[in-house]
Amino acid sequence: MTLTLLESPSVLSAPRARPPRARPLRVALAGNPNCGKTSIFNALTGARQHVANYAGVTVERRAGTCPLLNEPGELIDLPGTYSLNAYSPEERVAEAELLAGPDVVVVVTDSTQLQRHLVLLVQVMQLGANPVLCLNMADEARAAGQTIDVEQMERLLGFPVVETVGHRGEGIDRLVAAIDRAARNPVERHKLVLGEDLDRALDDIARALPPPARPEQGAAWVATRLLVGDQRQTRRVAALDGGEEAVALARLHRTRLEAATGCDIAVFVTERYFGFVDGLLREVRHRPRHVDTRQLTDRIDAVVVHRLAGLPLFALVMFAVFWLTFTVGDYPMGWIDAGIARLGEGLSQLWPEGSDSPLRSLLVDGMVGGVGGVIVFLPNILLLFLGLAFLEDTGYMARAAFLTDRLMHRFGLHGKSFIPLVTGFGCSIPGIMATRTLENERDRLTTMLVLPLMSCGARLPIWMLLIPAFFPPAWRAPTLWMLYGFGIALALLLALTLRRTLLRGDDAPFVMELPPYRQPTLRSVVLKMLTRSQVYLRKAGTTILAISILLWAATTYPKPPSYQVDAQLAKGELALAPEEVEARRAAEDLEHSIAGRLGRALAPVFAPIGFDWKIVTAMIGAFAAKEVFVAQMGIVYSLADGGQGTDSLRALLARDYSPLVGISLMVFLLIAAPCMATIAVTRRESGSWRWALLQLGGLTAIGYLLALVVCQLGRLVI
Amino acid sequence: MSSSSDTVSISSPLEDYLETIYLLVQEHGFARVRDIAGARRVKAATVSVALRKLAEGKLVDYQRREYIGLTSKGERAARRILARHRLLTRFFAEILKMPREAAAEQACTLEHALTDEAMDRIVRFFEFLGRCPSVIEAFQRCPVAAGADEPGLSAAASTCASCAVRNDVKLMTLSDVEPGQSVVVTQVASGGALRQRLLDMGMLPDTVVDLERTGLGGDPLWVRCQGARLALRRSEASTILVRRKA
Repeated sequence: MTLTLLESPSVLSAPRARPPRARPLRVALAGNPNCGKTSIFNALTGARQHVANYAGVTVERRAGTCPLLNEPGELIDLPGTYSLNAYSPEERVAEAELLAGPDVVVVVTDSTQLQRHLVLLVQVMQLGANPVLCLNMADEARAAGQTIDVEQMERLLGFPVVETVGHRGEGIDRLVAAIDRAARNPVERHKLVLGEDLDRALDDIARALPPPARPEQGAAWVATRLLVGDQRQTRRVAALDGGEEAVALARLHRTRLEAATGCDIAVFVTERYFGFVDGLLREVRHRPRHVDTRQLTDRIDAVVVHRLAGLPLFALVMFAVFWLTFTVGDYPMGWIDAGIARLGEGLSQLWPEGSDSPLRSLLVDGMVGGVGGVIVFLPNILLLFLGLAFLEDTGYMARAAFLTDRLMHRFGLHGKSFIPLVTGFGCSIPGIMATRTLENERDRLTTMLVLPLMSCGARLPIWMLLIPAFFPPAWRAPTLWMLYGFGIALALLLALTLRRTLLRGDDAPFVMELPPYRQPTLRSVVLKMLTRSQVYLRKAGTTILAISILLWAATTYPKPPSYQVDAQLAKGELALAPEEVEARRAAEDLEHSIAGRLGRALAPVFAPIGFDWKIVTAMIGAFAAKEVFVAQMGIVYSLADGGQGTDSLRALLARDYSPLVGISLMVFLLIAAPCMATIAVTRRESGSWRWALLQLGGLTAIGYLLALVVCQLGRLVI
Repeated sequence: MSSSSDTVSISSPLEDYLETIYLLVQEHGFARVRDIAGARRVKAATVSVALRKLAEGKLVDYQRREYIGLTSKGERAARRILARHRLLTRFFAEILKMPREAAAEQACTLEHALTDEAMDRIVRFFEFLGRCPSVIEAFQRCPVAAGADEPGLSAAASTCASCAVRNDVKLMTLSDVEPGQSVVVTQVASGGALRQRLLDMGMLPDTVVDLERTGLGGDPLWVRCQGARLALRRSEASTILVRRKA
């Protein structure tokens, strides 16, 4: 492949007049996964960035501003993609953003992987974009003895080329200058030569494109998509007036090229991309014949993904992450808990002693209590995300997927589902958020939907209350293990069922790149942790706050007109300590509230699985957070100290319920009705209430059915 | 046997007579009983019996006169048989490379045995071959055509780009490769998204792929290609055709 210009004037390289810009500058960052694009983005924007989702898809949209640029502008970090072939949501999003015509497109490449990473640049050139090529990780390439003649490359390509080391901030000033330069002098025509036969065919198709499908930018790209028979573009163009002709012409060229080359069109076009890159690199790259940049990574991999040692080592790594999350996290958790309690007390003191102002109750019990219950997990989430970000940045995450894929694939899941699922043992929320690493929509949804079956940390206090209440000491540990095991088995089974029914479809390609090990930088790991935790906090401030208030109202109102306990006291039938009186009143409050009434109303529904109104009422409150169940049971039984894990509550439970109901209760609480935060996060991550409500309804139904089976079969046996 | 509405069901010897008469008429403008007898090497009396039967089916114009002609219906039937005969002869001779005479003999036997539908499909296939001669060439180049035995075959056949994976011949795919071995991609026969992903990652024909290791239990595979490490499932690897590195 040569880099000379086509002699005949081509519509593909026709000079474009770009009208002066009225809006702020828009710069997009494109690149392969693992090219260090995020480190470049971070270096350009600093902390001035925010993460959101693209509408309708679970692809993260990262945007920010760069104060270093001459004129203010928005910087968009496109999802990492190998190409723009629109097979995955990421690729579709990237294609759409590029077709929308950003003013400058920075194509970030890994300098040690140029022959593959530059293919994306070719596609960006076809899109008619105004590129800046960023040769990132230049230090690694230099260490391997590779040198790039940057000036020659700029001459050949006709746009700025900059070498950078993103994570150390090297070359960022030059990159900023290059973006400014590119914004001022956009490329007029791209010197892209993919071979005479292909260029002619593309030019021919591009000429036939009806004007609406022939954006000033990207005619070559649309023509290429038609040529390779891309269904979306073909449908879009065919629907336009005169589009059929272009489609027919593309089909003709496809048949002709395939017949002439004896090669499938997709292979043919891709080979030409690689051919262009090869030709370019031959002119600008100098390197020793034998480069071995990968020795260290290979030596590490020899141990880390060893056939036998790999999995145990992985278990150890996961254990370390969890230890960090839950042991170290316990300390700040305690502080936050205390802080929230003090905040609650502080707020209470704004009212006179003994006041029963509804506003005070709303603030203290509803808002501070509800949101506080979720904020308490923030240290856990921060630490877990810190650990996961660290593993991701080192490159270990891909290895973990490699190690676990065989097991997960049997259940219709993906190797990358493993870590989110394990995270679910801590808390479903970070688990669901960690499903973002899954590229395929179906894999991601399946993982998300079954994730609450991993018995989370908030359920542990419930098990700690119930198991000793119903089981003799020798049985307690095995019962706990069985509960966890039952959850896992059910999750896998449900995943398999989902993949065969609602989320049926071919397996997404597993093909995955295993990046070289890299030393993560503190900056990038912390940034990643913070941006993801932000999402959690925002959730706590909005949806969770709203649901907390609703639940508070439901458990508080209406108030009983008078308390029986007061009447009894007045009659002198009872002699109680003041705390006991308070507890009795609280119990009567709850019984009289919407939750209590709902509990009574729903009790017949739950009678077949052995629950009475007390349990149902406690469960309604537990929707706020699972562990609230314990406190609610304490209130229902009017225990003075709230019954937190006390033996008195256990004794009462053992008195009122049979062990069979105990089992039924545990089965139900394990499976049914994930907490409101889980539902809210599923809604956010899946992009629709439909999946969140399916999760809520589906799991509750399954929980009910299994509890029913346990209860009814148990009654037959006993 | 023929059962379509515009032809009469006639037995295969009668079809042969029809064919002979048609050829004689084409050649001389007429056919006589003794010419027919001569061409078919039978007695004149036998011919008469056959002609009576054909006349009953309104295929020939035969009133004991010397010159026998075909009715338009008979002519259609004869042309049809002849077309089959020629087509099948060419198939055996030109594509399957049998000697001409043996090919004609096979055609004679087969032309009567095929139903209209089967024949129609063969005709369509033949038309396809005419349009796409590279398929015939590929077949004739392939050792399978020469009757090569299984073992030596797979390596040779896998070099042919026209070979599909679902060929009866066992081709070597990436999933047959042992850890530590190095192979060259000949074809990426995967479908849809997987194919595009593999191409994007540089797994193109003629690139070298090293299988470095597999997961526990042999799945997934860990390969190196164009300087990158890739993990892919065995099922995915089985759609990538490879040959041993020379």
